[in-house]
Amino acid sequence: MPRYAMVIDRQRCVGCGSCSIACRAENNLSEGVYWSHKITETSGVFPNVRFHYLPTLCNHCTNAPCVRGCPTRAMHKLENGITMHDPKKCIGCRYCMINCPYGVIYFNWKDGHQFWKDEHVLIEGATSSPAEEVRAAGGKTTPYYNPKNSKAPDIRPKGVVEKCTFCEHRVRKGLLPNCVEACPADARMFGDLDDPQSTLNQLLGKFKPFRLKEALGTDPAVFYIRDFSAANYPRTKGAA
Amino acid sequence: MEKIETQKKTLTENLFENANLSRRSFLKVSAGTGVTAALITGIQPELKALAATGASGTNGKGQWLPATCQGCTSWCSKQVYVIDGRAVKVRGNPHSKVNLGAGCVRSHLAIQQLYDPDRIKVPMKRTNPKKGRNQDPKFVPITWDEALDTIADKIMELRDNNETHKYMLMRGRYSYLRDVLYDRMTKIIGSPNNISHSALCAEAEKFGPYYTEGYWGYRQYDVLKAHYILLWGADPLAANRQVSYYTKVWGDVADQATIAIIEPRLSASAGKADEWLPIIPGQDGALAAAIAHILLVEGLWYKPFLGDFVDGVNRFVPGETVAEEAFEENYTHGVVKWWNLELKDKTAEWAADVTGLTADQIRRVAEGFGNAAPHAISWVGGGPCMQVRGGYASMICHALNGLVGSVDNVGGTLKANKEYTKKFPKPDDFMDEIAKKGKKHEKIDQRGRLEFPSLKKGKSGGGVVTNNAADGILNEDPYEIKVAIGYMNNFAFSAPQPERWERALSKIPFLVHITTNASEFSWFSDIVLPDTHHMFEKWGYVKSIGNGYRHVTLMQPIVKNIGDYKIDETEIPWLIAEKLAERGFDNLLRHFKTYKDPETGMEPANEKEFALYALKYATQNLWDPAHYKGGDKFSGWEEFSKVGVWNSDPYPYRKRWGKMKTKTGMFEFYSETLKAALEKHAEKHNTTVDAVMEAANYLARGEKAFIPHYEEPFILGDEKEYPFVHVDHKSRLNREGRSANCTWYYDFKDLDPGEDLWDDVAKINPVDARKLGIQSGDRIRLSSVTGSLVCTAKLWEGVRPGTVAKCYGQGHWVYGRLASKTFGKEPRGGNNNDIIPAQYEALSGSSAYYGVTRIKIEKA
Repeated sequence: MPRYAMVIDRQRCVGCGSCSIACRAENNLSEGVYWSHKITETSGVFPNVRFHYLPTLCNHCTNAPCVRGCPTRAMHKLENGITMHDPKKCIGCRYCMINCPYGVIYFNWKDGHQFWKDEHVLIEGATSSPAEEVRAAGGKTTPYYNPKNSKAPDIRPKGVVEKCTFCEHRVRKGLLPNCVEACPADARMFGDLDDPQSTLNQLLGKFKPFRLKEALGTDPAVFYIRDFSAANYPRTKGAA
Repeated sequence: MEKIETQKKTLTENLFENANLSRRSFLKVSAGTGVTAALITGIQPELKALAATGASGTNGKGQWLPATCQGCTSWCSKQVYVIDGRAVKVRGNPHSKVNLGAGCVRSHLAIQQLYDPDRIKVPMKRTNPKKGRNQDPKFVPITWDEALDTIADKIMELRDNNETHKYMLMRGRYSYLRDVLYDRMTKIIGSPNNISHSALCAEAEKFGPYYTEGYWGYRQYDVLKAHYILLWGADPLAANRQVSYYTKVWGDVADQATIAIIEPRLSASAGKADEWLPIIPGQDGALAAAIAHILLVEGLWYKPFLGDFVDGVNRFVPGETVAEEAFEENYTHGVVKWWNLELKDKTAEWAADVTGLTADQIRRVAEGFGNAAPHAISWVGGGPCMQVRGGYASMICHALNGLVGSVDNVGGTLKANKEYTKKFPKPDDFMDEIAKKGKKHEKIDQRGRLEFPSLKKGKSGGGVVTNNAADGILNEDPYEIKVAIGYMNNFAFSAPQPERWERALSKIPFLVHITTNASEFSWFSDIVLPDTHHMFEKWGYVKSIGNGYRHVTLMQPIVKNIGDYKIDETEIPWLIAEKLAERGFDNLLRHFKTYKDPETGMEPANEKEFALYALKYATQNLWDPAHYKGGDKFSGWEEFSKVGVWNSDPYPYRKRWGKMKTKTGMFEFYSETLKAALEKHAEKHNTTVDAVMEAANYLARGEKAFIPHYEEPFILGDEKEYPFVHVDHKSRLNREGRSANCTWYYDFKDLDPGEDLWDDVAKINPVDARKLGIQSGDRIRLSSVTGSLVCTAKLWEGVRPGTVAKCYGQGHWVYGRLASKTFGKEPRGGNNNDIIPAQYEALSGSSAYYGVTRIKIEKA
């Protein structure tokens, strides 16, 4: 059984967010829900300023606090290391959200894709309502709905939590998570930590990786290497 | 006959067959469409054809089909995941050598554009005869037949009255099938007025490369082999061009090249750069002059390209003139003249004062750039060029490539590779006396007048002055426009000072708009026709460059149309031609019938065949093995259409050294080419080049007009009343101002450095904001001498004090339910063009967008 993990090369990353929008499309996410997300920061004072971008997602922690705190085992670990969530078992208590130190779990206060439920037409007889558009396209909930063909519901109902699944439905079929597939910079790499020759292990052996809030002991499966800024600077000792 | 039938079926349907559309899934779809389906009768036959392919159910499995993205002018080849005729996902086409399978963030938004409920599904006509910003057109749906009949009647009226020149075609986003509608139809009707949007894009950016190396076009940059990359107002990781390719390789580029970005705002690319040079807007030419000065003084020029002093002793000493005969040039012309006329006094210290940068940084960048020669790129974006005096900035920034020998060289700046698409049959034989006479009139944009030299490719009046067409229409100068068609353009939003367009369009008695959404332009139209979306519903092709290759990538109808859309550039002109023929004028239809299918020799019988044959005709040399000329080779149309993209041969380095298309064949620092063009223009107007310079709002007089040089920027607005300079920029989520009706646009807006979700912000340096007592989140009004907009204040360190950076893209007052706050009434956010005055870089005809206006900030 593999132990799945991800390495994100921040130097290759250009902060474009393709990962996050591709995730939206793949997993039929509603507006405001970011399974794939980011932390950005503008550092410095003019004219010495840079912008930094750190892509984030569920860390699929080995010691996952969200799993430990779940009273119904809706949040659970798969043997391959993926932290999965079963909305059928979820009672919406949101303990997982409180326990997760990374803020990557979302709660559905209402049904998703409200935009597409609207029956209002802008120009009568010439344009559609969003709901009509969905029907005419032959989609489900959204016109561009993606059937994931997995056991889990394609669109999570209200009253439950949801989060990144490492695209378990794809990985199971031998495909890469969609954020990895869609990254135009090849900044994300996915693979098996238990395979000593995997790309991941090669990279982790070459660079000093870091993981988010490592000191908490969650043992995240998302590793970061290199820096978003590869900037050089003139040699200096500063000044006393 | 049977063979032909079969072939036709293959041609039009093989894509759908691939998608495994079933009759069942289809019926399900049609049954569910409700109101929309009732309105749409035009697509029925296509539906039947699809169902007849007889494939079995798909079980929700789809297929990746080839496509092309025109969300920006990168023009990447794509693949779309289509399930039962429904688009679900987008990715880069792995067959392209230009984008190497890489996608980009904005391409995903195309799906939301495709399924935008506010797309117009059927033709509409206005029922309110009054036109104006505050006049609801009261659009009602009509049939295609009624729409086309009306259009044909109006064109026939012009023909009957011998005033065909009063017809006008306005082009926006196009494919290379454009000439059907843009060129041939306009000419055969008999008008000179095919007005493109090009001068709103970046024509001035081409000015420098043309008048130095004889290349009027956008360049590609050999970044993986470069050691220094100097970017002038270009943001390749977010905006333009080849965003997908540069995104893919930038992490590797950063390993071996120093990257320096010159821009007053911390762009996405600047966020990752080695050097950020936050220059005072409009002063790019000064920085370039100083860099050139340093390169020469320190002997950092590339001798194999430029040559050297005869005795090998460097006489480029600050402040001193040099004897021309002392220097022997290899592949360049006039470097000593350039030094004497412009560069000798342009020291780093001089430039530091003018640009607001430090002399240390200027020297460090210049030396780094020079030491990397010839693998050093001076990458000239729209920023420095699309300014009132940007023509010479374009020239001087590009001239740096000449000094370091990176032109046409490894790790340098390259032109487009050869491609072999064909032009359409000539219209001449189909132009009758009325047409020939009509076409001779002056164009409505007044190009070529003394004040608009518009010297595209060396010709006086060679290029369009898009934004001035509004004034031509308003002033009926040279005459009035009576019938006009616009397609995939939105000048009432995208052109500076769009209020002029609102009045101009209101004045045109009969205006037609071919568009996906009811946009600002549509608001003033009499008839609005529902256009196909370029990426999913249209036949077409575009050409693009990057990675040392050129690709020709196809647009094909690959999804089931939800609306009764027709293709702007082919189907609609064919249908108009049919209607004109019914009215006794069949020249256009007869001309279109000469676009025969290269495979069968058949002439087109309807609009659908015409669209396909036009494409096959234009691209025949790429896919027909009997006509093979180079690059990728295909077994025939079928294979080409499935792969979706043709790649050129790799770039041949240094083939143009000594053979450039300039007057001297050399890279010209003293541009004999520009001299000839300016003198010809002056001669045409019986005046001097100095008078042309004055009319074009340039300061150079005498010989200086022929060399790359620094010009003080021309910025409107009194500094006391309008203390800030406006900095316009683009979003990585913009699809040319057309993505503002997509939820993802707002839900990811903070992917642009400094921007906020679901908001439209003006980025202000905290130092300035404190003085004004403005906090992040305050509603503010930005005003210039020509207009104002309301948006939200954002305090941000990534913007130069004294400037305000505001992203373009929002501020629509129509277009859709999200794009506008109240459709037809109130904009969401602010449109930058409302505060940008209609000013021009007159030598190229371009509209000035940058460093052109001062603004003030008030609490709203």
